[in-house]
Amino acid sequence: MPTIEVSYNDLCKLVGKKIPLEELKERSLWQAKAEFENATKQGNYLRMTLKPADTNRPDLWSAEGIARVLRAYYGKGGLPQYKMKRSGITVKADVKVKRVRPYTVCAVVRGLKITEEVLLQSIQLQEKVAGTFGRGRRDVAIGIYDLSRIKPPIYYTAAKPDELAFVPLEFKQKLTLREILKQHPKGKEFGHLLADAEEYPVFIDSDENVLSMPPIVNSDFTGKVTTQTRDVFIECSGFDMKRLKTALNIVALALADRGGRLETVDVFIEGKKFTTPDLTPKQIEVDVAYARSLSGLDLNAKEFAALLKKQLYDVTVKGAKLAVSYPSFRQDIMHPCDVVEDAIIAYGYENLSPIVVPATTKGSLHPTEAFTSRLEEILVGLGLQQVASYTLTNKRFLFERMNVGHAPVAEIANPQSENWSCFRNSLLPSILEFLAANRHVEYPHEVFEIGDCVLLNESTDTKTRDVRKLAVALTDVTIAYERIASMLDALMRNLGLAYVLKRSQHNSFTPDRVAEVVVNGHSLGYIGEIHPQVLNNWGLEKPVVAFEIDVDRLSANT
Amino acid sequence: MYRLTAEGKKYLDKGLPEINLVLYVREKGPTNIKHIQKELDEASVAVNWALRNKWIEMRGGDVHVVQTPQKYDVEDALKLVEKGRAPSDGLLPTLLKRRLVEEVRETLEHRAQKMVGSDIGTLTEDLIKTGAWKQVKLKPYNVEAVGKQIYPGKRQPYFAFLAQIKRKLVELGFKEYRGPSVELEFWNFDALYQPQGHPARDWTQTYSMKTPQGGRLPDRKVVNAVKAAHERGGDTGSTGWGYSWSEERAARLMPRAHDTAITPRLLVSGIEIPGKYFNISRCYRPDIIDATHAVEFDQMGGIVVDRNVTLRHLLGVLKEFATEVTGVKKVKFVPSYFPFTEPSVEAFGYHEELGWIEVGGAGIFRPELTQPLGIKEPVIAWGMGIGRLAMLTYGIKDIRYLFAQDLAWLRKTPVR
Repeated sequence: MPTIEVSYNDLCKLVGKKIPLEELKERSLWQAKAEFENATKQGNYLRMTLKPADTNRPDLWSAEGIARVLRAYYGKGGLPQYKMKRSGITVKADVKVKRVRPYTVCAVVRGLKITEEVLLQSIQLQEKVAGTFGRGRRDVAIGIYDLSRIKPPIYYTAAKPDELAFVPLEFKQKLTLREILKQHPKGKEFGHLLADAEEYPVFIDSDENVLSMPPIVNSDFTGKVTTQTRDVFIECSGFDMKRLKTALNIVALALADRGGRLETVDVFIEGKKFTTPDLTPKQIEVDVAYARSLSGLDLNAKEFAALLKKQLYDVTVKGAKLAVSYPSFRQDIMHPCDVVEDAIIAYGYENLSPIVVPATTKGSLHPTEAFTSRLEEILVGLGLQQVASYTLTNKRFLFERMNVGHAPVAEIANPQSENWSCFRNSLLPSILEFLAANRHVEYPHEVFEIGDCVLLNESTDTKTRDVRKLAVALTDVTIAYERIASMLDALMRNLGLAYVLKRSQHNSFTPDRVAEVVVNGHSLGYIGEIHPQVLNNWGLEKPVVAFEIDVDRLSANT
Repeated sequence: MYRLTAEGKKYLDKGLPEINLVLYVREKGPTNIKHIQKELDEASVAVNWALRNKWIEMRGGDVHVVQTPQKYDVEDALKLVEKGRAPSDGLLPTLLKRRLVEEVRETLEHRAQKMVGSDIGTLTEDLIKTGAWKQVKLKPYNVEAVGKQIYPGKRQPYFAFLAQIKRKLVELGFKEYRGPSVELEFWNFDALYQPQGHPARDWTQTYSMKTPQGGRLPDRKVVNAVKAAHERGGDTGSTGWGYSWSEERAARLMPRAHDTAITPRLLVSGIEIPGKYFNISRCYRPDIIDATHAVEFDQMGGIVVDRNVTLRHLLGVLKEFATEVTGVKKVKFVPSYFPFTEPSVEAFGYHEELGWIEVGGAGIFRPELTQPLGIKEPVIAWGMGIGRLAMLTYGIKDIRYLFAQDLAWLRKTPVR
């Protein structure tokens, strides 16, 4: 979710109305799905931090975008109108870009008065659109240039890493494309996007000045927009024409909202001409009955239409249906439900009265959870402290520390840390880890854990099975096996279960001091004294007796 | 109380056999053992104890005296017992073993009677049964002394909290459902109409599995309907996302990234209408771990489904949770965004100290999600940050503490 900074005064100026801060916070900003985070005073200005809620609405990630919606909310609304002329400028894409970054769309905006605030908003918007909507510049990279320094036509082509050199933004000397990736901060940050490319994309003008190397960095000569700049050239490059057009419209319209005059650019890609920006509104039809049933609002077609106008829509009522036109930069509308939500937002969530769903259904716990709480009651009654640990762990803890050989486990391909790189298949390591972390806490320690383990299982659709297990461990200066045997016995008797202990072997337990817990001929787990080698491995200094049993199988036998 | 046995009395009268032996050999000089056995009463007992006391030695079948006792503690002890006094604790076992003294079985009355008139520390069964307590003075206890610290068995605080929440939800008519920890991307994302190229599906945002790999997709019908919804909207009246949907991608396995992952499974398994369902599920994301991001965390969520539920019913559900489950008094709603619901809502509750806090999010599932899964009715999906709520309840500042490996903390955290 992006966070944006907006000047309160600037926003009011863009809306053309002094909106009280409280009203902005509590009502009007929600119209643009923007949550007010905080405001700080900077000199005479109030800077607001806003959190646009919708990750699918990049048009709302700037002061201009939010102001556009607020103008509709406070004014008469409807589709925003923009005038556009042809610039006569062409951009020609070379076939060489096809493999590395195939598409670009461009625009020109003239007659701008760029203030510091405009510059700030423009940079912020580019960053958010390319970063979040453009997925870290991979899908969409944006460049804005001082048009007066460019000689059209412009060429979008690709060059070998050492073939071309230019002065990148904020640098003094020329660097080759290869050097830019290594030395320029943006090269280091975004260079991975060109890691597999043999040639790097570049925009070059007719004077053979490099405009930029997308998606990395602009040139210092043409690609630097300042408060002196009047006319700008904008390009968006990437892989998906639809996304590029959306991004271009958002960036160009933000400047048009600052008083700039929009002009189109003809882009030629593989012999096809694209004239952009393309501001043609899009259409969708919404059934009024559907709008009523989704919203729970008892409104008629005209009333819904009026609400939608406040959200930048044009609406024609056609009987029981609404023919809706919406702005070109909305790429999030896929279904009438997207339009209905905007109508409800215009109505105001604060004006909706909640309806309580009658409690006609009967609630219940999942059987595993219900059984778990029975176990907990008995174990707490035995004076045991319940502990909880993560289900993720590592193979060192599961195998080496437990003195058992490696076996396949459910393992994560991209762990953040080796410490949490696989699912546990047993609770004993978890409970010993707990005891090891509490070596210096007053003894005795008598603890239990009930939790899920993940076991590999070819027969399920996920090739794994979640198994709930129970482990109990007792430790003190000396601790008798009889104590843990009594605990198990108390548990079993209170579940009404007959069981036998069968002498067994398990490398985590001391030889000849371990048994299997058997119910109805099924082995449910092990009970015994933890092997001194295992104690050494965990850094435990006092003897531990423990048992671990499969709760699901236990439950199946009760 | 102890008294002499017949043998004890005899020994006190005629001397202990081991003393008699020493006196005899001292007078006669070294004497053959066989001769002694013939001449002296209880010769073997006498030899045994005299040897043990190192008074005599055996040299080739002859008994030699090496030391003559001046005083014998066993004899002294017998004299004490005869006077009605207790022998020393050290000697008592020997005397009892040699059957020289025996314990006098006193009557209840006798024992109780002996305490009459004295100051008594411990109130005994004898005093209570006989009523003798009326005639004794029970010494005052230091009742203001704080007891020694002991630790009862307890639930883990966070788990106890979750159990309380669950109980509340069951009371409100919700059924609990579960799902697997390792999940197919199909259920975690695709069935929830999350496009395959969505940034949330990037490897930096979610874990993927090294072992095992490649799960099994469900029923062909469901897979095809989900594919159609993603590509061009299928029969849902949507444009779809407009890309080519990959079955192979959908079959990938991952640790469940959010609780809603298990909801499409519930929807295809057949649900009751009307129906209310909830789950609390462990979720896994490769976040940088800090005070608000743990290695793994629980999410609570679920659905409410009925023929005619609207956004206003959804607000009703959220309001009920906020007041019943989180205990806030005032609730407000604001627009929100979730990829799988439209419209979407966030609820804020008014907390006495913290002001407005997020208490839950909800929305109506998009038709692109429900229709491919065979659900015709509107489905309200809701969720709450359960870990954050637990932190508020327990006054915990760091989410990692919910799973603290800290026994001292567990012992001192009060039961709620």
